[in-house]
Amino acid sequence: MPAPKLLTKDWDKPSSWTLETYRQGGGYQALPRALKMQPQQIVDEVVKSNLRGRGGAGFPTGMKWNFVRKETSFPKYLVVNADEGEPGTFKDREILLRSPHLFVEGLIIGCYAVDCHLTYVYCRGEFRDSAMARLQQAIDEAYAAGFAGKNILGSGFDLEIHAVFGAGAYICGEETALLESLEGRKGYPRLKPPFPANAGGGLFRQPTAVNNVETLANLPVIVTLGGDEYGKIGAPKNGGTRLFAVSGHVKKPGVFEAPMGISFKALLDEYCGGMREGSTLKAIIPGGGSSAIMTAAEAEWASDFDTLKAKKTMAGSGGVVYLDQSVNMAHALANLMRFYAHESCGQCTPCREGTAWLSRLLDKIVAGKGDKRDVDNVHQIARQMEMKTICALADGAAMPAKSYIEKFRADFDALVRG
Amino acid sequence: MIPLGTQSGPVESPFTPEQQQRFDAGLARAVAKYPPDRRKAALLAALHLAQDELGWLSEPTMAYVGFRLDVPPVRVREVVTFYTMYRMRPVGRHQIGVCNSISCWAMGSEKILKHCSELLGIHPGETTRDGQFSLEEVSCLAACGNAPAALVNNFRYVENVTPESMGALIGELREKPGTEMAKGPLPRMPDPHLHEQSQGAPQATGSLDGPAVSTHPEAGSTEPR
Repeated sequence: MPAPKLLTKDWDKPSSWTLETYRQGGGYQALPRALKMQPQQIVDEVVKSNLRGRGGAGFPTGMKWNFVRKETSFPKYLVVNADEGEPGTFKDREILLRSPHLFVEGLIIGCYAVDCHLTYVYCRGEFRDSAMARLQQAIDEAYAAGFAGKNILGSGFDLEIHAVFGAGAYICGEETALLESLEGRKGYPRLKPPFPANAGGGLFRQPTAVNNVETLANLPVIVTLGGDEYGKIGAPKNGGTRLFAVSGHVKKPGVFEAPMGISFKALLDEYCGGMREGSTLKAIIPGGGSSAIMTAAEAEWASDFDTLKAKKTMAGSGGVVYLDQSVNMAHALANLMRFYAHESCGQCTPCREGTAWLSRLLDKIVAGKGDKRDVDNVHQIARQMEMKTICALADGAAMPAKSYIEKFRADFDALVRG
Repeated sequence: MIPLGTQSGPVESPFTPEQQQRFDAGLARAVAKYPPDRRKAALLAALHLAQDELGWLSEPTMAYVGFRLDVPPVRVREVVTFYTMYRMRPVGRHQIGVCNSISCWAMGSEKILKHCSELLGIHPGETTRDGQFSLEEVSCLAACGNAPAALVNNFRYVENVTPESMGALIGELREKPGTEMAKGPLPRMPDPHLHEQSQGAPQATGSLDGPAVSTHPEAGSTEPR
């Protein structure tokens, strides 16, 4: 089946980020339709569509919105996570740069669906002058055209949209850390429950839906096609297309829209032109730096959330990195672990100490000063970090640590004594 | 020395009248984004505004920002030390951050870092003696498709960089006065006195030729220890 272009159809047009281009391609036609529906009807369509959150956890979006709708505490908020920072992931930045209006339209529909009248888009600080500037321009255009503000298109629905930016902390991509940061504090993740969707857990302790940029960009498509039709694209329980952000030793890196569940081999061959000249595939990072590594032999695996979960890795954020034979996986893991050790917020001991220990051990190994016990220790420390912390950063560091050793032990052994 | 846990009376502004005007206007816009009883939420934005004007956040600056939002100084300090984009000591007029996260690393970012180090004569985390350049190793910038990537002065992306293009960029920046990082006429030269104190900190290693000033956030604040 040729892959439909639902999110990226305007991307190659000149000035694709302007309101004019977006409207010429049929933009802002879903919004009036949505505003004529009941909010619950929209959520029902999203449930039928099997849309899964594109930020990393793959939580069903419709279910999350139903949690928020069930709450009786007002006001309710929708907060957008545009704090893209997972190693290997760059799709949200592309959406904001190339089709911000698609996202803004989806955001307005989403806010209407969860009964939110004040929404925040939390961008990572580094985006301020690039991706966020484009987004702000789109928001301003939407206000001027009457798609945001008071009484949108005569429907009686009011919505204020604010873009804000952080100050450089990977942890703020975790939804509760993001909320803390949005409230003007350091980004320490909150203990759950209460979850953000519940009263007491969200922004200013009110019920809050936290959604990823790409997730919301799917909303105009779902309203236009209908949930059932949208759900037919992709894999079972994994509706729609996904933006795969591909980097590494491929001929043509970039963001590609492909059906959920496409195999990593097909993604590489049909979209990225295969590996570069002289490169042979050695390993695949399937969903951002925190996902467990895959070997070249596992490239046939499907990329949907459920398949990869069953294979003990994850579809994560859709950041796919193809690595070639020149990479020693111990060095790659040492690089990743320096990142996690630096970005651990320090709240939970197993993560703060664990990531630092892993990083030190791995640096010792790649410096040629380690022995076999060090490799075993890395694996053991990683096992002891899992499921013991408030947020998933520790698990996101442990998963690669374990899997790199399990699948590429020879690379580690080549560097150590004994 | 400002007591960190308490607040007594108005705090003196660190800004010139012009800077004050821009800061006040920016702060009003930032505060307006939040519900009236939630103005403290604008702290991150207010700190960015102050840093835009002054280039870095000194203790008096932090105390002033906190004063404006009714946030205790210790809370401000907590936020400043947590986020990497805030500078607790002066940095060079041009700060170059080279991404060394997995995709950039696989595409040769270490070569880029080494090249920049040699060109500038400093290690990552240091500032050149003339105060022109700081070099940093940064983590994933979300530009992996155009790896290796770099970031100039916190907000400007440079992608698909090569050792040659970084050399050209450094040459280009050398010609420019540091308008991007600090708008104000504040002297941005690292204080030699400050350098001596930072010798005790583990990150403050010597530069490739002659000493430099550590700008590593963990090297501590500018207050005497």
